[in-house]
Amino acid sequence: MSGSAVFWITQLLNALQYSMLLFLLSIGLTVIFGLLHFVNLAHGALYAMGAYIGISLALRTGSYWVALVLAPVAVTLIGVVLYLLLIRRLRHAGPLSQVLVTFGLIFVFLDVIRILWGDIALGMDPPAALRGMTSIFGVRYPTYRLFIIGMGILIMVVLLVTLARSQIGAMIRAGVENDQMAACLGINVERLFFAVFCLGCALAGLAGVVAVPVLSATPGMGTDILIPALIVVVIGGLGSLHGAILGSFIVGFMATIGAVLLPGINSVLIFAALAAILVFRPQGLIPARG
Amino acid sequence: MFRQTPIRTGAGIALIAGLAIHASRGGYFDREIVIEIAILAMLAISLDIVAGFGRMISLCHGAIFGLAAYGYGTAIVKFGLPPSTGLVIGIALAIAFGALVGAICAGTVGIFYIMATLAFGQIAYVLIFESRWLGGDDGMTGVRRMDLSLIGLNMRDSLTFALVCLAVLVLVYIAAAVVLRSSFGRTLSGIHANEARMRAVGINTRMHKTAAFAFSAALAGIAGVLKAQHTMFVSPELLFWTLSGEVLIIVILGGIGTLIGPAIGATLLVLLKHEVSHYTVYWHVVVGAVLILAVLAGGRGLFGEFEYRLARWRARRRARRGTGGAADA
Repeated sequence: MSGSAVFWITQLLNALQYSMLLFLLSIGLTVIFGLLHFVNLAHGALYAMGAYIGISLALRTGSYWVALVLAPVAVTLIGVVLYLLLIRRLRHAGPLSQVLVTFGLIFVFLDVIRILWGDIALGMDPPAALRGMTSIFGVRYPTYRLFIIGMGILIMVVLLVTLARSQIGAMIRAGVENDQMAACLGINVERLFFAVFCLGCALAGLAGVVAVPVLSATPGMGTDILIPALIVVVIGGLGSLHGAILGSFIVGFMATIGAVLLPGINSVLIFAALAAILVFRPQGLIPARG
Repeated sequence: MFRQTPIRTGAGIALIAGLAIHASRGGYFDREIVIEIAILAMLAISLDIVAGFGRMISLCHGAIFGLAAYGYGTAIVKFGLPPSTGLVIGIALAIAFGALVGAICAGTVGIFYIMATLAFGQIAYVLIFESRWLGGDDGMTGVRRMDLSLIGLNMRDSLTFALVCLAVLVLVYIAAAVVLRSSFGRTLSGIHANEARMRAVGINTRMHKTAAFAFSAALAGIAGVLKAQHTMFVSPELLFWTLSGEVLIIVILGGIGTLIGPAIGATLLVLLKHEVSHYTVYWHVVVGAVLILAVLAGGRGLFGEFEYRLARWRARRRARRGTGGAADA
């Protein structure tokens, strides 16, 4: 196979892998906004906590798989504490208060991470089974990155099917469309929203653990990924699962392929796309409400 | 609606006098802090005009500030123009960018406004960061200060520069207060309270919001030009969104919609930053916790809370007088 074909397939796989990370993160952001009408800027901090807790768990237990399962649980517990202390109180407080409080949380988590784990970037090895390279479409690609892509697609399919086919999916769709009407029909909307919030936190924690072997963990990692994740959510449509999927692919591919074709300018294009959506189509490409 | 109450005037005079005394009595380091406070206070006042009186929560004021600094620096370093021309170019650039962003974003509300201004600010940041001609992430050195020897001021002297910054801060505050007290400012307050109703009574709200944003950008531009002269160096960091976030925090902690509150907030935050950094490197956790508590306490900020309590106390006293001794029984 020619060199340029290998190069482009590798780049496409990189873009796919970055899209999957963005997807895992933006799910939480978008459902929390769509259902709870809450702007959670601290979602990136949960991602960072997932990464660091994952590193510590992997060190203690010596197993990546334990970290992969337990770190999202730990992050969900942090999310529950945040929900009970702050988010529940601020649900009807208007976007400015929400932005400010969660901005404050970003600061708090930043220093908590620096105090507990230090300023140095920490890494983690992928598990033995996923080390090395695998041949795919005629190129040799890191197995671990393929694992990220596969897991992202799996979660995507599970969420899509659950939302479209299951009873709980129908309840969530009803809640997004009109929460008061859904409550009148006997759905415990508060409990449903809380469950969805927990799922969003768990996925953010999962994204954090999964990202460490590729990106390594730094205290600022949550802030770094927050802006791309917010762009994904806004471009796709706040509260929309389909929108988050589309937005992840758009931002993931623009960031990765754009960096090859138009180095330096690609992030301007991403922000320009964000601005265009906000001004001309603030409900996003695939709005949550039909 | 904005009112220049005696308490606000008094707080402003006390603040400026305190900073001026601190600068003239203290050493070089104290003067540097006073300069930092004065510049940040201007930026906070400019943000309060749109955020506190027009419901436009901007996250691109850092970018406006940085663009003005770059306009000033580029005119001097790259084109060899005199600093006075650089001043005009820097502020004009800030106004142009502010008018453009303000006009495009005027139709959006709430979280969408915050996100859209963030996007435009980041576009400006990335373009300057990627520009080799402007020095990229290394920034640009060789920015001179203005030569005011004609009126007997040596700007290279740190005390003179600090006092000039304080004088400009006073002028910025007066300009903001005059505009907010004008009929234009009253219309803006009306938009803040209920935009749909203002549109219904025949006000072109988009135009007013754009004009207010451009005016705010002009004041942020003045701060930016002073910043470039202070450090005699400009870097893309000035345009990054976290600076905009920091200024928004200052406005909230000081008291949004009080105009003098943000100036007090800037003073306290800079002092706090320097004090806390003596004891611990983890000053973010302190600011974050204070911010969360301030919002949970009602979001009025320090000066806003003070005015709120004062008004409540006065109202209670008036009520007690009005009903005579009946209330005590």
